[in-house]
Amino acid sequence: MMIEPLILEQVEKTFKDGDKENQVVKNLSFGLKTGEVVAIIGPSGSGKSTFLSIAGALQSPDKGKVIINGTDIATFSDIDKANIRLNHLGYIFQTSNLVPYLKVEEQLSLVLKMANQWTKESKRKINEMLVAVGMVQRSKFYPHQLSGGEKQRVAIARAFINDPEIILADEPTASLDSNRSMAIIELISKIVKEQNKSAIIVTHDEQILPLCDRIYVMKDGQLIEQGN
Amino acid sequence: MFSLPFKEMTFFKVKYLLISFILFFVAILVFVISGLANGLSMNNASSIINMPAHSFYLQKSAEGRIDRSHLTVDIEELTAKSEAQPIGVQMGAISRVNSEDRLDVTFIAVQPGSFLEPDRKDGKGLERGGGNSVLLDRSLSGTIKIGMIVKDARSGISLKVVGFLDDQTFSHTPVALISLDTWEKLAGGPNKSEYNGIAIKKSDIGLEKNISSLIKNGEWVEKDQVVKGIPGYSAEQNSLYMMLSFLIVIAVFVLAAFFYIMTIQKTAQFGILKAIGAKSSQLVKSTIFQVIMLTVVSIAAAVIFTKGFMAILPNNIPFIFDLVQIAKFSGILFLVSIFGSLLSVFNIVKADPIQAMGRVE
Repeated sequence: MMIEPLILEQVEKTFKDGDKENQVVKNLSFGLKTGEVVAIIGPSGSGKSTFLSIAGALQSPDKGKVIINGTDIATFSDIDKANIRLNHLGYIFQTSNLVPYLKVEEQLSLVLKMANQWTKESKRKINEMLVAVGMVQRSKFYPHQLSGGEKQRVAIARAFINDPEIILADEPTASLDSNRSMAIIELISKIVKEQNKSAIIVTHDEQILPLCDRIYVMKDGQLIEQGN
Repeated sequence: MFSLPFKEMTFFKVKYLLISFILFFVAILVFVISGLANGLSMNNASSIINMPAHSFYLQKSAEGRIDRSHLTVDIEELTAKSEAQPIGVQMGAISRVNSEDRLDVTFIAVQPGSFLEPDRKDGKGLERGGGNSVLLDRSLSGTIKIGMIVKDARSGISLKVVGFLDDQTFSHTPVALISLDTWEKLAGGPNKSEYNGIAIKKSDIGLEKNISSLIKNGEWVEKDQVVKGIPGYSAEQNSLYMMLSFLIVIAVFVLAAFFYIMTIQKTAQFGILKAIGAKSSQLVKSTIFQVIMLTVVSIAAAVIFTKGFMAILPNNIPFIFDLVQIAKFSGILFLVSIFGSLLSVFNIVKADPIQAMGRVE
């Protein structure tokens, strides 16, 4: 069994900012274990999102290795990265970013269909997932008929539906009040534990930290683990 | 995957309906103007357009205008060769017996039974010899009946109406088809007479050379050029075709702008779809699929509308629904909208999933 579904080894990423070169991620190494929820905090501009987009196969690093399930994807093409995202990664964004013209259940079936994972079992699977996030009564609703918290629940269900090993959440609670924030993180944590997944949550929200297994601070392009 | 563009269109009904309406109206305008151009063309020059001739031998100084051309032809030499036929074209007027009303017509004189005599007709064909029979365009059948005697307004010679012809006009006047014998009487000339030109059925270089050497001062002009030389024809057609070409240019810009704006609007959405694993090629395909759907539906609706429009159009507005031409213009509009949507493909490919994450560093 894969103990560390995501490993970053000495990753570097530099952006050109005018004539200056801005090294956002420096010599960063990180490992994510199965069954854990990791929080990443840090001031804005410290490279959190860049880290997340490299770990999430949205960007390729300049140097270093990004190993997802034992495969180094650092030099993958855009199409190969899209396949990695489709089959191994689940995203939760700051805003739910649901597709506006699809019903709740269609949001989930779209992911399965794109990944060619649509089978007879899929309907049941979608239903189970909606039960898990408490949205099964809303399965025929469009996103504009849902509240912010409900949308975020659908987004969580969407991130988990294709059985990814890794969930990447970028400020998932930024647009929610504190009660709902706690509920959303509890929900992510619950599903991660139950289904033996792992999750990285990038956040500003200090109140959710007790719900996470490990906490890292992003500072000067590197991740530093914080003792609880 | 194809249910996705479909669901999007049904969800954003108004937006997509608006675009299809624009396409629909542009297509209608294109079809109606092309129908009017066709109708006017037939209304103007159907006698020459429908004539089964390949080209005409006309006087050089006439510059391709059959009504201005005059050739002195020895008819005995020519009638032997049925592939080449003299033709007379003369604008004139006729009146009914006991009536002062003059009806403008164009006399067209052909050899009875030759390939130039149109076969679509009511009543009898032209008679040879001194019968002075005349076949008239059907537009005159309201005032004149078969068997009536009409008079040539200039010479006063009586002509017996023996039948009607479909679609025989010259420069917007109905044609009065007469025989070469009658033509000579109207002109009052002897056997060696003046005609406007010589028509040949198909291209035949030997025959053309033979005629060129027999009759000097002439040149061969193709039928299309003769049609264009009919008074008023080019002016009418050119102005309508100018409108048509402008319409198509406008359609390119309007549609390209619409599809472009629509794609820009959806950039964030493309970003999300990419972040959850959609490939650029899938998104491009789905966009083009939408454009094809919109275009096909709108153009089909416009074709049906144009057909209905033709039915309610009063008879005095000439309009011809030519399926081949409608298909051609449909094809052009279809390509134009695909082209317009392809301009936005670049933006789909560029749509950045990182932006979908809400923040960019």
